[in-house]
Amino acid sequence: MLLPVAARAQSVHYGPAHIEFGAQAIGVGTRESPAIHGRVLTEGYLTQPMVMAMASFWNNAVELKGALDFEGVTLKRGELNAGIHGEGYIDRRHPHTYLHELVVSAQRKFGDNGASLALGKGFAPFGTDDPMARPFEKYPINHHLAQVLERAVAVASARTRRVILEAGLFNGDEPESPGDVPNRKRYWDSWSSRVTLIPFPQGELQTSFALVRSPENATGGGVDHHKQSASIRLEDAQHSGYGLLEWARTTNYAGSSRTFAFTSLLAETWARYGRASGAFRFERTERPDEDRLVDEFRSPLPATDLSINGRSQWTIITALLAATFQPLETLTLEPFAEVARIRFRPTLSPSGFDPTQFYGSNRIWSVSVGAKLALGMSHMRMGRYGVASTEKRVMKMRSKEMDDMHMHGATGSAPY
Amino acid sequence: MSNLARRGATVAAALSIVSCFSDNPVVPPTDSPPLAVLGLGVVAERYTGEVWVRGSVAYTTTWGSRESPGNAIKIWDVAGDIPNLVNTVIVPSASTLGDIQTSDDGQLLIVATEFASGSIMIYRLSDPVNPQLISRYTTPLTSPGVHTAEVQRVNGTLYAFLSVDPGIGSAARLVIVDLSDPAVPTQVFTAVMGSPFVHDVFVRDGILITALWDDGMTIWDIGGAGSGGSVSNPVALGNVVTVGGAVHNVWWYHNAISGDNRYAFVGEEGPGATGASASGDIHVVDVSNFAAPREVAFFHLPGAGTHNFSVDETRGILYAAYYNGGVRAIDITGDLSSCAAAHKAPDGRCDLASMGRELAHGPGDEHPVYIWGVLLSSGRVYASDMLNGLWKLAEVSIPPG
Repeated sequence: MLLPVAARAQSVHYGPAHIEFGAQAIGVGTRESPAIHGRVLTEGYLTQPMVMAMASFWNNAVELKGALDFEGVTLKRGELNAGIHGEGYIDRRHPHTYLHELVVSAQRKFGDNGASLALGKGFAPFGTDDPMARPFEKYPINHHLAQVLERAVAVASARTRRVILEAGLFNGDEPESPGDVPNRKRYWDSWSSRVTLIPFPQGELQTSFALVRSPENATGGGVDHHKQSASIRLEDAQHSGYGLLEWARTTNYAGSSRTFAFTSLLAETWARYGRASGAFRFERTERPDEDRLVDEFRSPLPATDLSINGRSQWTIITALLAATFQPLETLTLEPFAEVARIRFRPTLSPSGFDPTQFYGSNRIWSVSVGAKLALGMSHMRMGRYGVASTEKRVMKMRSKEMDDMHMHGATGSAPY
Repeated sequence: MSNLARRGATVAAALSIVSCFSDNPVVPPTDSPPLAVLGLGVVAERYTGEVWVRGSVAYTTTWGSRESPGNAIKIWDVAGDIPNLVNTVIVPSASTLGDIQTSDDGQLLIVATEFASGSIMIYRLSDPVNPQLISRYTTPLTSPGVHTAEVQRVNGTLYAFLSVDPGIGSAARLVIVDLSDPAVPTQVFTAVMGSPFVHDVFVRDGILITALWDDGMTIWDIGGAGSGGSVSNPVALGNVVTVGGAVHNVWWYHNAISGDNRYAFVGEEGPGATGASASGDIHVVDVSNFAAPREVAFFHLPGAGTHNFSVDETRGILYAAYYNGGVRAIDITGDLSSCAAAHKAPDGRCDLASMGRELAHGPGDEHPVYIWGVLLSSGRVYASDMLNGLWKLAEVSIPPG
């Protein structure tokens, strides 16, 4: 998400509880040329409308994180996002579930060390930060390779000053619609683990693995995903910029037989200079090409068999410029412009999907202009709970009054 | 900062190295004699699906998304060696067409449609090359798509057996429709079945055999086994899960000479990538005891996987569509359950490939093919090729056995 800065949190204290609230939404217009079959599409959206809350009790011994996402109302047809796929959408990003996150965690600290348990619906300990908590409006198309979210999760974490270990169980099935809930029959059939090293201040390396059972067939019987991720994230001491280099791979297995693998390499950086900020992202990601419905931005869910039509490699270069205004103390307005140049090629030959033939070009341009409105607490880095959080109750705060709430020895404290 | 840069560069280099990847495909063998190619009817703007032939007219469906969507029925004059496209019928509100079949009397043409509200299209064939739509059968139970529609007559009544895809919140199911009045098809049976798919059925002699993916193959009495079953009330007789599961299609073989009907051939549809690769074996199931079917043999083709079948029941030749492996003609005469130790897999099944039972193959030696369906008609073999269109081939010249 675009990075809000400089606003005081909407927070209250009530006995042993500290509670924070926030809300956000992005109004954006996107023009894609071509979007499909040589046609140019220009569309507008209210995207990422969210209400967030976090409550901590007894000096953070217990925390509750929650986020409601209303994309199911505002983004039913999906959002143009060339190359992206998942949850029955293709070349449009799918709406997330209404209950995006609701996780309670309990933690105990011993000096620099600590341990925690988390339970609820949210992120499995795998991969990198959720794209919603990163600078760009358009998602990287490796979203389903690099994160595992909206699952019923149970996560155990332990950390020292320099190392964070996480292991989690969750349901393998992906959501099938915004109102979907994790399939109870699938609870805990999948697992993941993540190791994070913090070798020096503002540096963070993670590697993780996930075994996700039949994510695309909710009743089971689909291919399993063996997922790997590794990344390095560097941030400047003033939290006014960061760089992320990420590799992710998902290998599909039918039983014990390996079928296809999809690899992603992504590099992105963001920096802020006063009110202005800019970001740049390079992504090269392979995706499975799937059947399409009469609405060619949709694919059958679940697929009708274990095969794919092809595999294409997408190379996307994205640049973002934004400015931050604060008309009220708790309100942030961020107009932005984002441009992406997208190229693709089939990686299997012959192929049941020729992207150049399908799109009517060997290149797509995407231009988005819009503004984000954020109230109160902003997005934190998403995907970690308890002592594994690499930031501590990062709220909107004035850029010059940071750090007082950062966990000792942790990194990644830029306000997202 | 330079320290940070060095560390970052090291990690970047490591990530770049591990991102290299190769699929290392296996090329299917071409050791057997080639099937003689008579001609090819080219379809370039769409991917081709199933094939059906009646007399001198062939029908092919189309599939997926190419330059145009897979919503067309192609009608061919196949009197000559080269299939000649004579008509194209567009099916509205469909992105993919699966099975296509005429009724046994040649009066009707039935086409299965997919996504998102599945259906069967029922056409009158008063003029075989100009089908006239009679009705479109679609109900909530045919959503999100009818993957296959097998048309068969049972006790004098014409039925369509619809294998319906699973959808969001709906499991795969079989729907049986009475086509006595093609203007008003009537559902006579439905049941959830298959894990997670039911992809096809085979109907013969009052026996229904369902291909239930990882639930294997189930044999049902629909009036022919004396177990009280009927089309509207199928009675399960037996089930077998063949090695590897993914049971996609079945052919219950009746030897036209000896009358022997001991074997059913099961197609396993493993993972693949359209045009490039496929996987899955043919499994031979001894169904002499419906209550206890058992797998006795298999045919494996390295680097390719099987799809639909057509059988020359007089000569004992199974023609199997093998996607990127073309069509494989396999000798299925004799006892398939007995073989020398050298031809047995560790689990005791006979390995038909190792026994040298592949008689011929083709097309595909000259350029890539991806054969979806195959049909033997009047001594000619028709193969629908997703990449290229419709092939007309000569049948196997070498006698089996």
